[in-house]
Amino acid sequence: MEFDWSDGDLAYRRELRAFLETELPANWKEMTADGPGSDAQAAFSREFCGRLAEKGWLTQMWPAEYGGADATPWRHAILSEEMWRVGEPRGSQYMNVNWIGPTIMKYGSEEQKAHHLPLISKGDVLWCQGFSEPEAGSDLVSLRTAARLEGDHYVVNGSKIWTSYVSGADYCFLLVRSDPESKRHKGITVLLAPMDAPGIQVREVPAVIGRRYFHELFFDDARIPASCRLGPEGEGWGVVSYALAYERVGAMRYARAALTLDSLAEAARERGLQGDPVIQEKLGAARCAVEASRQLSYRVIDLRAKGSEPTADTNIARVAGTLCENAVSDLALELFGPEALEYGQFGESYWRLAMTAGVAVGTTEINLNLIASRWLGLPRE
Amino acid sequence: MDYDWNEDQQAIGEAVEALCTQHAGAARAIELDAKSSWDEALDAALVESGFAGVALGAPDTGPLEAAMLVETLARHAATLPVGAQLLVAPKLSGSVQPGPVALVSLAHPGPVRFGSHARTALVDTGGDEARLVSLSPGDTEPVVSNFMLPVGRVAVHAGSGEGLGAGSGPALRAWWRVALAAELLGTMQAALDVTVDYTKRRRQFGRPIGSFQALQHRLAMCAVLVEGTRRLAFAAAAEERPEESACVAAAHAADAANLLFRETHQMTGAMGFTREHDLHVFSMRLQALRLELGGASAHRRAIAATRWARGS
Repeated sequence: MEFDWSDGDLAYRRELRAFLETELPANWKEMTADGPGSDAQAAFSREFCGRLAEKGWLTQMWPAEYGGADATPWRHAILSEEMWRVGEPRGSQYMNVNWIGPTIMKYGSEEQKAHHLPLISKGDVLWCQGFSEPEAGSDLVSLRTAARLEGDHYVVNGSKIWTSYVSGADYCFLLVRSDPESKRHKGITVLLAPMDAPGIQVREVPAVIGRRYFHELFFDDARIPASCRLGPEGEGWGVVSYALAYERVGAMRYARAALTLDSLAEAARERGLQGDPVIQEKLGAARCAVEASRQLSYRVIDLRAKGSEPTADTNIARVAGTLCENAVSDLALELFGPEALEYGQFGESYWRLAMTAGVAVGTTEINLNLIASRWLGLPRE
Repeated sequence: MDYDWNEDQQAIGEAVEALCTQHAGAARAIELDAKSSWDEALDAALVESGFAGVALGAPDTGPLEAAMLVETLARHAATLPVGAQLLVAPKLSGSVQPGPVALVSLAHPGPVRFGSHARTALVDTGGDEARLVSLSPGDTEPVVSNFMLPVGRVAVHAGSGEGLGAGSGPALRAWWRVALAAELLGTMQAALDVTVDYTKRRRQFGRPIGSFQALQHRLAMCAVLVEGTRRLAFAAAAEERPEESACVAAAHAADAANLLFRETHQMTGAMGFTREHDLHVFSMRLQALRLELGGASAHRRAIAATRWARGS
C-alpha cells in the first residue's frame, strides 16, 4: 500500500484549479443554483467542454486511437474531483466521457464511432439517459418501451421517466424492448436515438430538487434509424451492464461535500460556534464520512487502474458516498436554521443537490443487495 | 497510489497470519481470559520472529506495516496490547519496550487495558510532552472485568518516568488513535466474519436467516463501515505525522464498532451471548476499545479542532 500522489498528478491538480479560476464566469454561483440540468448550465457546458477539449483534458482517459491520451484512471479521477468540487461545469457531458463514449468504443459500428466519438471529444454534444420507466426503476429489466423494426427504421412506442439533462440534449442513450415476446434481460436493445427524431415528446416533471431535473420522454411511433442500434439486437443488457460498470463511479461527489463542509466550518466560526461541542461533533462526524467516501472511491480507481473486473468495491463506495452526502447536507440545513428556508441559500443549495444521493445511479438498497451477495456471499432470498 | 499490499508487505502479512494460526485464536483468548492472563507466549514469539520492531524497520518497514500486523493480530484475538507494543511505543520511544505496554491518558482516569500486568506505561498528560514509565509490580492493580481483556489500574502521574520530548504528547495521541483504529478494524472484521458465517448456517422458517433481506442490508452496511475503517486506518498509518487523519480513522472506527456490536449480537441471538460462541471474544473487546481516549465523541471534536481551528 502506498498513498502518495505523483508530482505530475499534483501539478495537474494545480493547473486545473488555475484553469477553473479563469474559465468559470462571474455569475457561476447563480448559474448553478437550479442544479446541473438547468438550461443555463447545459448551454454553458458546450462552451466550457470545448475549452477543456482544447487543453486536451476532456477525453484524456480515452485511448489514443480515439483521440484520447491514455491518461491513467487516477488522472481522470483528479479531473472529476475538481469538476464536482465546483459544481460540475461539464454539465451532463461527464457522462459522455465516462461511459457513453467508452461503450460506443466497445460496441459501436465503425460509422457510429466515426460520428459520435469526435462529437464527444469536441465537447459540443449533449446526451441524456433513457433507462427508467414508470414500471421499471430499480427493476430495470422490466422495461417495456417497445421497438419494432420496419424497413430501415425502428418504430418506438412507450415512455421513459426521471430522465435528467434533457435540456438541449442531442441524443438519448435509449433502452428498448425489441422483442415483444421477451422477458427480463433478454430482448433488450440499445438505440443511440437522435432527440429530434419524429415522434419524441418531452415533458418536464416539476420537482423540488431543482429546475429541469426530471423529464418524461414520450415515444409515439417515433422513427429511429436502424443504423442507431448499438450492439446486436436483443443483446442490449450486456451493453448496459458494461456501461453501468463505468457509470457507478463516475461522479466524485465527495469532492463537493468536502468543500461544502469546509465552508460550513467557516460559517460556524462566523457565528461564534467554533467551540460548541455539538457543532464540533457534527463537523467531525461529517468529515469522517467524507474521508471514508474518498478513500473507498480511490480503492475503486485503484482497481480500475489495475485493469480489474468491476467488484462490489464499487457498491461499497457508492453507499459510503451517500452516507457522506447525507452527513454534510444534514448539517448544511441545521447550521443555518431558518436562513436555509430561502431558495438558493448556500446550505439549502447543497442540501437540495445532495437529496438524491441514495436514489440516483442505483438506489442504496440495490447496492446493499449486491454487497450482500458479492462481498459477503449471503444466499439469495 | 496503490491500495493493495506489495509483495514484501504481503510476505510479512502471511508470516504473521501463520504465527497467529499457531499461537492465537478465539479459543486461546477464552482460555487466557479464564485465568485473567495475557499472552506471554505470543509476545515472545513476536519478539523472536522480529515482528516487534517492524515499526522501526525503515526503510523496509514502518508504521504502515506495523498497523497491518496490529490488524491481523486483533483479527486473530491476540490477548496482547498489540497497538501499544507494535506501533505506539516503538514510534514514540524509538525502541521496542518490555510488554505488556499500557497506554494511559490522565484526562480519562480509570483502569486500562493490560494495566493488570503492564511493565511499561506510556502516559498522555494532556500536554505537549508524553512520558515513558517503567513499572514495577507494585504500580499495577488488577481489576475484574467482563470485556475479554485483562484490565487494571496503573499508578502513574504527570511527573512519572521520563519525558519523551517536545511534541511527544500530540504524537502519542495521534499514534494511539491510529493503532486503535487498526485494532478495532481487525476486531470488527472478525466479529463480522463469525456473524456472516452464523447467518449462513442458522436456519429458521425453513431457510438460512442470512437469506432474509432484513438482515442482508444491515450486514452489508456493516461491511461498508468496516471497509471504510480499513482504508482510513491504513492511510493514516502511512502518514509521516498523522494528525487529522488519525482522529478521522479513530472516530470512524469507534462509531462503526458500536454498530457492529449491536448488529452482530442481534443476528446471532441468544447463542452470541454465550461463551460457547466466538463472537463474544471480539464483540466485548470492541466495547473496551471504543471507549479509549474519550471515544468517538472526543475523536470527532479532535477532528474539528485539528482541521478548522486555524484563525479561530
